[in-house]
Amino acid sequence: MIGLIKNELLVITGRWRSYIGFVGISILMPLILWGFTYGSESIHEQYSRQLGGSFMVVGSIFNSFLATYIIMNALWIHIPFLVTLAASDAVAADGSNGIFRITLTRPVSRLKILTSKLLASYVYTAALLIFCAFWSLGVGSLVLGTGDLIVIDKGILILEQSQAWLRMALGFSLAILVMCMVATLCFMFSAMVNNGVGPIIGAMFLIIVGYLVISIPLDFFNKIEPYLFVTYFDVWMDAFKEPIPWNDIGKKLGILFLYSSMFYGIAAFVFNRKDIKT
Amino acid sequence: MLETKNLSKSFGIRKAVDNLNLEIPKGSVYGFLGPNGSGKSTTIRMMTSLISPDEGEVFIRGKSVQKYGNKALSGVGALIERADFHKHLSAKTNLEMLARMDGTKPDRIEYVLKRTGLSNRGNDKVKTYSQGMKQRLGIAQALLSDPALLILDEPTNGLDPQGMKEVRDLIGELSSEGITIFISSHLLDEVQKICSHAAIINTGKMITSGSMSTLLKQSDVFVTEITVDQVSKANELLSPLHWIHRIDLSDDSLSVNIENEKIPEMIRLLVQNNIQVSSVIPRASLEEVFLSEIGAESVIS
Repeated sequence: MIGLIKNELLVITGRWRSYIGFVGISILMPLILWGFTYGSESIHEQYSRQLGGSFMVVGSIFNSFLATYIIMNALWIHIPFLVTLAASDAVAADGSNGIFRITLTRPVSRLKILTSKLLASYVYTAALLIFCAFWSLGVGSLVLGTGDLIVIDKGILILEQSQAWLRMALGFSLAILVMCMVATLCFMFSAMVNNGVGPIIGAMFLIIVGYLVISIPLDFFNKIEPYLFVTYFDVWMDAFKEPIPWNDIGKKLGILFLYSSMFYGIAAFVFNRKDIKT
Repeated sequence: MLETKNLSKSFGIRKAVDNLNLEIPKGSVYGFLGPNGSGKSTTIRMMTSLISPDEGEVFIRGKSVQKYGNKALSGVGALIERADFHKHLSAKTNLEMLARMDGTKPDRIEYVLKRTGLSNRGNDKVKTYSQGMKQRLGIAQALLSDPALLILDEPTNGLDPQGMKEVRDLIGELSSEGITIFISSHLLDEVQKICSHAAIINTGKMITSGSMSTLLKQSDVFVTEITVDQVSKANELLSPLHWIHRIDLSDDSLSVNIENEKIPEMIRLLVQNNIQVSSVIPRASLEEVFLSEIGAESVIS
């Protein structure tokens, strides 16, 4: 299986499309960090206003942790698109390029081949988010410095620097798991078609419709909200709550895991019965 | 070595393969012939588990492909139609990936590249390859697992005459090493040259099969090569005759399509008209067998 995953990673790293996400992040993050360096006063004022009644703010609360937290909030809807760029081609491209005529005639089961493709997509997804973390936390720490992290959600949470690192690691880990679910969704569509664009459209359509449903306050939408996978996409935010709601995290990850298993099951069912005619 | 039992497959209402029974003996070079759309590719894809049959089974060394899945394909090398690879990767990298799937040792890669004449281009990306080179790489990947059975679907597609000869020679060499080869091709002359056995199918059904010599004996019309001293005079004499089907001329000989029983009459006629006949060599043609079995010349592509 490791050999098969290595094969798939070779294919992913050889495709120019796989680098769009990394290039995009490499362009966007310096701009954001530059913007934070020279335009952080308004954010600082906003935070100070919210804290003003209870705290006396001395110095700057703005650092790489807060910047990362803000960036994650802002980019959360867009990252799935970058993730789908690799997952969409995982199966479909081999079909359209005629590669299956060579790989599926070898003494390796289709299920193994499919699983290796999915796991390679997960590795790509994890690499993309780690790259994002490298920019926002790594380069961000050099540019903006570090310090305590102040999170204003339903209350005010102040995390010491050492805690902030741990929470960021947990946050990114949860984000990777969520994005792996997005990759599985796209992968399912990839197993159904022979072109790499359809799966991106299919996956993004479901995600956008899901976001619309949970953002519109209608009774009917509220009733179906618990059944939508996008409802649980914000699990990474739980890493910045005190105490960390492990039960909630477990429940949300469990639901996302069930969705991923269902998508993978459908992909395996379709792929195992697929006649390779191209 | 390879056997199909009552193999059938439909696409919608069209029956692509209809109750096909084939038996490929061990060590044979088996030609699989049929006009376009006759079900050759569908049959080969069912043999290699790319397509599931509606009915029937394929057995490789006694193991059912449908029952054992891809495990039954162990020791089988296949090239199905056009050879496609990851174009952005080198030939070697592509073969390394496939070797990992087969569990083949990496040193086999150099061997198959050498065997297919690609050893000096192994590090080049596949996108820089000509169609002929890709096809040779296709044969290289089929040889990677040191197969006992080779299934080749139109292996000479895209090759120039020199390339075709090289592939033909390679198939001959592999056959002499004891590898069983199942090969589909439109090039009947080529199949006749390299195959020990053949089967002809049409509209998914078996028309005829057997050893090449048995098949050629079925033909009523033979091509006869006649070497004479006056080629043009012989041509003028034979052309008007209704029992001569076709004449092709060369410098000192004629290729004449003629029924077997008419050959003595033709020789007598030539000699009576003072044309010296040096040799008469009857050559049975698979093309004639194919056409008489299929029943329509126009179907040949």
